[in-house]
Amino acid sequence: MSTPNHPSEAFDENPGTARRLLAPRRHAPGSPVAAALTRRRSKRRRRLTNVAGLFAGLCLMGALYTTIVPGAQAAGDTTTAAGTAEAAGQAIYNRTCISCHGANLEGVPQRGPSLIGVGAASVYFQVHTGRMPLARQGAQAIEKPPVLSDKEIDQLMAYVQAHGGGPTLPSGDLRAGDLAQGGELFRLNCSSCHNFVGEGGALSSGKAAPSLKNADDLTIYTAMLTGPENMPVFGDSQLTPDEKRSIIDYVQTIKAQADPGGAGVGRIGPVSEGLVIWVVGIGVMMFGIFWMGSKA
Amino acid sequence: MTAHDTRPGSTGGADIPEQVYGGPDDDYTPEQLATLRREDLERLGAKYDGVEVTHVDPGPEPGSPLERRAVRQVGMVLTLAGLLAFAFVVVYVGSGWFLPSWEWAQHPTTWSALYTPLLGLCMGLSLALVGIGLVLFTKKLLPHETAVQDKHDGSHFDRVTIGATLVNTLDRSGLARRKLLIRSFGIMAGGLGLMLIMPLGGLLKNPSRGDPLGTTPWAKGVRLLTAGGVPIRPEDQLPGSMQTVFPQVPNGNTAADAATMLFRLRPEQVAASKPRKGQANFGYGDYVAYSKICTHAGCPVSLYEQQTSRILCPCHQSQFLITEGATPVFGPAVRPLPQLPITVDSEGYFVARSGYIEAVGPTYWNRKRI
Amino acid sequence: MARTAAAPGVPTTRVGKAAYELDDRFIVAGWLRRTMNKVYPDHWSFLLGEIALYSFVVLLLSGTYLTFFFDASMKEVVYNGSYAPLRGVPMSAAYESTLGLSFDVRGGLFVRQLHHWAALLFVASIIAHLMRIFFTGAFRRPRETNWLIGVTLFVLSLLEGFAGYTIPDDLLSGTGLRIFGTVILSIPVVGTWLFFALFNGDYPGQFVVGRLYIAHVLLVPGILLALIGLHLLILIKQKHSQFPGPGRTEHNVVGNRFFPTFAAKSGGLFFLVFGVCAGLGGLVQINPVWLWGPYNPAQVSSASQPDWYIGFLEGSMRLFPAWEINFPGNYAIPAPFWPTVFLPGVMFTLLALYPMLERKLTRDSASHQLLQRPRDVPVRTSAGAMALTFYLVLVISGGNDVIADKFDISLNAMTWAGRIGLILLPPIVYVITYRICLGLEHHDREVLEHGIETGVIRRLPHGEFIEVHQPLGAVDAHGHGELAYGGAPVPKKMNQVGGARRAIRGFFRPVEDPAQVELEQRAEGYGLSAAEDEGRELTTSGRPSEGGRPSEGGRPQEPRD
Repeated sequence: MSTPNHPSEAFDENPGTARRLLAPRRHAPGSPVAAALTRRRSKRRRRLTNVAGLFAGLCLMGALYTTIVPGAQAAGDTTTAAGTAEAAGQAIYNRTCISCHGANLEGVPQRGPSLIGVGAASVYFQVHTGRMPLARQGAQAIEKPPVLSDKEIDQLMAYVQAHGGGPTLPSGDLRAGDLAQGGELFRLNCSSCHNFVGEGGALSSGKAAPSLKNADDLTIYTAMLTGPENMPVFGDSQLTPDEKRSIIDYVQTIKAQADPGGAGVGRIGPVSEGLVIWVVGIGVMMFGIFWMGSKA
Repeated sequence: MTAHDTRPGSTGGADIPEQVYGGPDDDYTPEQLATLRREDLERLGAKYDGVEVTHVDPGPEPGSPLERRAVRQVGMVLTLAGLLAFAFVVVYVGSGWFLPSWEWAQHPTTWSALYTPLLGLCMGLSLALVGIGLVLFTKKLLPHETAVQDKHDGSHFDRVTIGATLVNTLDRSGLARRKLLIRSFGIMAGGLGLMLIMPLGGLLKNPSRGDPLGTTPWAKGVRLLTAGGVPIRPEDQLPGSMQTVFPQVPNGNTAADAATMLFRLRPEQVAASKPRKGQANFGYGDYVAYSKICTHAGCPVSLYEQQTSRILCPCHQSQFLITEGATPVFGPAVRPLPQLPITVDSEGYFVARSGYIEAVGPTYWNRKRI
Repeated sequence: MARTAAAPGVPTTRVGKAAYELDDRFIVAGWLRRTMNKVYPDHWSFLLGEIALYSFVVLLLSGTYLTFFFDASMKEVVYNGSYAPLRGVPMSAAYESTLGLSFDVRGGLFVRQLHHWAALLFVASIIAHLMRIFFTGAFRRPRETNWLIGVTLFVLSLLEGFAGYTIPDDLLSGTGLRIFGTVILSIPVVGTWLFFALFNGDYPGQFVVGRLYIAHVLLVPGILLALIGLHLLILIKQKHSQFPGPGRTEHNVVGNRFFPTFAAKSGGLFFLVFGVCAGLGGLVQINPVWLWGPYNPAQVSSASQPDWYIGFLEGSMRLFPAWEINFPGNYAIPAPFWPTVFLPGVMFTLLALYPMLERKLTRDSASHQLLQRPRDVPVRTSAGAMALTFYLVLVISGGNDVIADKFDISLNAMTWAGRIGLILLPPIVYVITYRICLGLEHHDREVLEHGIETGVIRRLPHGEFIEVHQPLGAVDAHGHGELAYGGAPVPKKMNQVGGARRAIRGFFRPVEDPAQVELEQRAEGYGLSAAEDEGRELTTSGRPSEGGRPSEGGRPQEPRD
């Protein structure tokens, strides 16, 4: 698998180059890809109830993926499994993606971009968040419940990854980072669009940076890695995997954190506060003075 | 009501209610007042103040069910207010003693997130109930009266007499004739006034000296650093990325106007690029660098939309097109974001080829245009 | 008590003796009696200003507490407090002490939030109070001075609020401070000098938080306090204005004496204001600076807004087009100058000078103690509604990015809607308000002339259907009412003239037995004529449940003056 169309050296086939560029990376490049699917749920409870299903899924995915990504590390004896996943992925591709992205992932003008070299991470982000398949052409893709099952997404990832490579899913604990450093990086790189607390915000002409409320760890990670839609790309040399994990740790901590001062009113600051003072504050006061001014 | 012309030196102590001279005491002797009932005395006083109570709706009849109910209501409200006030004290004092600690803990559902709301609930309700109790008391238990008070528009007598007094005083002072005094008074007042505000001059600083408004730490050969202080190489960023960079000088990462955005354009963006006149060579390959400080109000513009090539300022929504030299295409900003000329040094790291060729940040009156 | 004493008027009780001693020294008896006898008009809208006054008291109390913990310094420190996500982050001492106040002081967060909510309520009630004064014509002679003081208080309260939310030096307010700096910088000729005087050099420097702090806790509150004192003093001296109604003239005040009715209600209002601030302060989170992070000139968040009362400036800044005026010789008037210096300058000047303008235009320079109903002065009311619309468009535009995001509207479309709305909406609102005023006035006259529509339809012998009207007073030969309009509300429903008898008491549920009330009322007269015969005062039937506006007279009995 070569990446002739992929302009970045960061994801070059050559492991030596990759290692040099990604020096700060802590996890070994050859770690089992199965762990890449440790999708950490933001809700602990849900995670507990799903643990059995997750475990089963992990085993399956592990079996499917060991050989696929990155290609250099693929073991020869599982090519059949990989091929099966790829083939299944191609079937899904031909069913749901082909009309906009073309028969060979080359893209269709005015409809959809080329998918050569976008990598599994991009597929994961787009399909897992329900943005793809696209409901309709608009200012930007809308987040909705995923159309494809997790298994189908995995197969699709295998297919796309096999055609041009590209960024892959990370492995390990995606929140293993420095909380405070994550906060600083978040405020420098992310909050300008996604707001202080990940509430999201408006962009130009009807586009918007989505709220991170429902984003799980892997979604945030893959979004940073691939720069979907109008979001800039944060390659591993710009934000190291550790820094990405710090950011995820910060985002998820802030999201789960209680509001010590009472109701958060959307955590969007002065706009909702102004609304509260006029509706509740002045409202209660008007009610009070009406009552006082009236005679018994 | 006229003032007595003779005022004895002493009228005795407070124990002997002698006539206090002046005012209504001329009209009503203590003996007369002593014969009046309390109600009449009150009415008399009110009348003296120009107030007439025209109508009184007595409160509920003493002992009536209406009164008992009202008393019960007011009593209940005030008692509840008191109890809630005690509850506040219990929460405030007890937390960390016999109640869970209020101190902040990161876990989602701890007492620390309940402490402030509980305080607010207790105090807010308690105080509001005191207010409600007071108003209930007024409305349900007090008699309702309608009082009319006369308004006194000033009196002609007062105006004429004070006018005469003032003019006479001025005449006696002779200031009208002694012009020199007035002039010297003017000089004295002006001088004193100026002297007293002079120390404010310490606030003034010459903004043009050294032109701090127009300069940044960027200069020829200064490396571009990430927020973490790492120098950047051309292979570090991916196409379609943006990174905030700072000059490699002491405190460069907190210098107010130094923050710069380093973009690596996608091939389509490179193809569509139309740099500003004379700045075609300011970029390096597919990299360009623009000031992060908005030319409108100085906010950091950093909402980069990599597909539309726009940068949006979150404060006033000016939009800049980076493929066209970051010229504003929407919103209140007038000037493009200044471009930082960049190149790569011998070690392969990005450096500035020079400082910004124009002043970064918002416009001001005498900004030098280059 | 005094009556039974040997010498007339000698106090016999302990308290009485003490009171005598006191008056002998301070001579307060007369003053106290005058104060307690002072009559206050009883109308809900007169309490709006009191809300502002009491929020100011709450602000002074809570603010003093906050100064015990706040460190107004921009010295850089590294945070090491309870809030984990910021531990190890370098920040200013001001921000660090604000975090400490929020997380490491028992009840500190509660008082901080109480203070901030009280500030929002303070400005909001000032605006509500200002609207009452404006729309009822209470600013007319002799009250122009108090109007000017009021406008000054309003402007100062904006400054005070801005300084207050800026000193924690968080990322949100820091962004606001940067814009504030730009506003100063944009003033032609002296802008750069003023900017350097304020910041002691280039932005942000080490001084600005300390300077804003002393302005926030000493300078501006001091001036506010003095002006509020003066405002009240003049009010007491001039006595209240009042709405026209039975027995109300230009030369009297009808209402309640200060003690006990007004004092109790006013005291109740104080506790209610304090209670609302405390309740909001504990239950609704405001300005969570720990989520914003410390200020850094390179960082920013989407949806950066000032507190709502500065929102109109933010909005005008967003809407104003990119017009920079260049002069030869490299001089320029920057774009932010027009929306943030010039526009508010014009707005507040117009507001301050309005009483004088109106006096010039209407040539009415007489003293007025009786207020006007907004409908009776359609031009002023419409102009006020127009100004309010203008202001509202600005305020809404100040949060247009949040609206765009939450309601999925294009941001650019919001900006254009604001730009067009700012120009088009006010005149439209003017015309609509004017028509509404005329319609209401017309209906008042019609009811006075033809009486109240009873809803009773009668068929005349020749087949014509007519609706029976209940005249409000004596009628002339043609059956037309002879009452003139007196500036007071005209009853428009039979209930308001006693036609439906009184309502059953009770706010949420009846507290009286309906049958009992029915029995009681059997004995009474019925309808308007009965009310007149008994000389029942309609002033007292102001309960909303009885149909009247609270405490306004039921109907005019005498024309105004």
